[in-house]
Amino acid sequence: MTERDGTAAERDGDGDRHRVELRWRGGGTETVRAAAAESVLEAAERADIGLPFGCRTGACATCTGRLLSGKIEHEREPRALKTDSLADGYVLLCIARPKTDCRIEVGTDVHSDLVTNPWK
Amino acid sequence: MSDTESSESGAHEHHEHHHDVEGPGYATPQAAIEEAERETVAYVPSLYVGTDVDAPDFLSVVDVNPDSDTYTEVIDRVEMPNKGDELHHFGWNACSSSCHVEGLERRHLVVPGQRSSRLHIIDTKDRENPEIVKVIEPEEVYEYDLSAPHTVHCIPDGEILISMLGNEDGDLPGGFLELNDDFEIEGRWDPPGEIEMNYDFWYQPRHNVMVSSEWAAPKTYYPGFDLEDVEAGKYGHKLHFWDWERGQLQQTVDLGEEGMIPLEVRFLHSPEAAHGYVGAALSSNIFHFYEREKEWFAEKVIDIEPREHEDWDMPVPGLITDLLVSMDDRYLFFSNWLHGDVRMYDVSDPSNPRLADQLWAGGLYGPRHPTGEDDRPVVAGPQMLQLSIDGERLYWTTSLFSTWDNQFYPEEGEKGSVMLKADVNPRKGTMTLDEDFLVDFGEMPNGPARAHEIRWPDGDCTSDVWQ
Ligand code: FES
Repeated sequence: MTERDGTAAERDGDGDRHRVELRWRGGGTETVRAAAAESVLEAAERADIGLPFGCRTGACATCTGRLLSGKIEHEREPRALKTDSLADGYVLLCIARPKTDCRIEVGTDVHSDLVTNPWK
Repeated sequence: MSDTESSESGAHEHHEHHHDVEGPGYATPQAAIEEAERETVAYVPSLYVGTDVDAPDFLSVVDVNPDSDTYTEVIDRVEMPNKGDELHHFGWNACSSSCHVEGLERRHLVVPGQRSSRLHIIDTKDRENPEIVKVIEPEEVYEYDLSAPHTVHCIPDGEILISMLGNEDGDLPGGFLELNDDFEIEGRWDPPGEIEMNYDFWYQPRHNVMVSSEWAAPKTYYPGFDLEDVEAGKYGHKLHFWDWERGQLQQTVDLGEEGMIPLEVRFLHSPEAAHGYVGAALSSNIFHFYEREKEWFAEKVIDIEPREHEDWDMPVPGLITDLLVSMDDRYLFFSNWLHGDVRMYDVSDPSNPRLADQLWAGGLYGPRHPTGEDDRPVVAGPQMLQLSIDGERLYWTTSLFSTWDNQFYPEEGEKGSVMLKADVNPRKGTMTLDEDFLVDFGEMPNGPARAHEIRWPDGDCTSDVWQ
């Protein structure tokens, strides 16, 4: 993506912004508006909503969410997700940009789907 | 100690110790044992990454002085300025290796974020109320095409070396980052690409050697442990021996099938010794490495058998996650994180460790309430260890790595870690769990926290090196 000056919120008209509904497994939802150049994590932070994260570069999977509806694009290769997890709709919220309005499951339980005990 | 076969090779690069200069640390390991006072506070990285507690990680100051009213309590917490770091291992700006450098003090802790690649500098001038004085942001680290900082050691001239497990993208290769004594990034220590994987390291200046071990690429181990990654060869099984002066790789020893995921590496403390140990976590073996005629060898000397468990489909490996050598080089201690035991071996003959004692606390096979039925349960196994300098008190915490904890001990995230202690009798070679000692990281103001490595202000068995 090309860089432009100003904050994401300033430079994007409402047409470029998408509604992102964040749903926690334990219950609870929040809706944030993400500008075109914003990741879901950044949009949530701007709205003062705490989502888990670590590396912020797509390597660690701490921010894993699961896309329930809508479309997102990873701004770079989501290295921490394996192909089958990607196919199952898991996304890395630190590098995920909504392309349409979305519903996304969030919270640390989502990541634990990916890492079960391999010996059990 | 028996070191006859290798003491000759100690002649090269031997820096004489200048006793007339007042630098940090102790002149010899024996001086440390004799002169060090009993530890009164412990520094312990404590973290919220991987839980739903929306707060930054912090450094705990734990009161370990039995004469204090706040004994076994977290008496201060240094909050990090950002969330998401995953504080993990950390180290001092100076140790006994720089005791020839006048004016240098063992005062600043370098505390990296494993996930964030951020480096925090903490001033411990006021031992009980340390404070952050500088933060190196991840972008500055990425400029050197490195990420995922792990082990921090001071190096003899007052500088600091940090093993880095990945490149800027969390892929391989890793390398080493060097900081100067003003805590500015000096650059890379090693020519990039000498090694692929990296993890822990330790150096022995009189032998001009540094040894480093291997975990995996950050993107492989960060999300959690997957046996498929092991089968695909994405986890390490090698030790690397470096020319310490030049920062160049000299020799690589492949530990093979029985040396899967070699993590912590420790040389004996005697600067003359060319012996050390590494714990292979996954294959649950201890290897002894040593130098003979300028060549390094590694031999398996301890083997932990996997055990059946009714809830597991496959035999459970011990998963040796930490080990340390006592300051007098007589005992080797290590933890089996999955099984739940701590072991003590007599290593007076370094190539023939002899089991001295073993104790159980938590884990899959140890007691869930080792310190008493009314105490909170221990929901994971013994992990990071630290021994008092005099060798009489062994302490440990129970968290390994947030994502791995969530896989093997999901309750650790909900209840938090504990710190436990055993009284050690070095004369008899025994350990006894101290049932009056339990630090509960489940009781933190923002919610239960995990706890990781342990350091004393006056140096310890896993950071001090002698020239
Ligand atoms: S925060 Fe590490 S992958 Fe998103």
